[in-house]
Amino acid sequence: MIKVLFFGPVADRVETREMQFEYTPGITLHDITAKIGMQHPGALSIVSFIAVNQNQVHDKQMALHDNDEIALMAKFSGG
Amino acid sequence: MNEPVRIQEADFSQDEEIAALKATSQRIGGIATFLGCARDFSEGRDVHEISFEAYGSMALAEMNKLRAAAIARFSLIDARIVHRVTTVGPGDNIVFIAAAAEHRAAAFDGCRWMIDELKQRVPIWKKEITPQGESWVTPHP
Repeated sequence: MIKVLFFGPVADRVETREMQFEYTPGITLHDITAKIGMQHPGALSIVSFIAVNQNQVHDKQMALHDNDEIALMAKFSGG
Repeated sequence: MNEPVRIQEADFSQDEEIAALKATSQRIGGIATFLGCARDFSEGRDVHEISFEAYGSMALAEMNKLRAAAIARFSLIDARIVHRVTTVGPGDNIVFIAAAAEHRAAAFDGCRWMIDELKQRVPIWKKEITPQGESWVTPHP
């Protein structure tokens, strides 16, 4: 399984904090974000950062692995 | 003694944080601190409460990286970063940053760099609760 986490404003838009997607060999980050974008078109527009296993990534074509944890995050506003 | 980098619900004591910093070395000649606290007014609206949310594990990892980078970049003797993730009211403490160095310039520079970078790098979000409703804060430079 691939776990996708949502926080703050993004969680509000998707109305959940976590989704699970079945892992299939060759699945990419883009495949996952596209699925979420189809279900919640307004959510991805505020996503500024994506992390895989707590590391920021920029290449949406990256292949995912079983049990990866993805986070879709809006701009940070701590401090 | 508390860890030098923490995310916690509870309030912190600046005195305790500074004492912990001073205990690490007698070579410290200056400590610069930044205390972030909750305002009662933002973007033209009264603010009753501010609620924080974090991607906890990643936020802590990023804060530890930030501390290590600041120590290396500014030749600090030590540094501490504490951020609360809870709901706070006006006047309450939010974040504490301290940079200890042999001389004041490095301490000031390191402290400012850490809070500026924290705002850019650490996955924490704040929501303001106002009489008009709740809204997530748009980051400020």
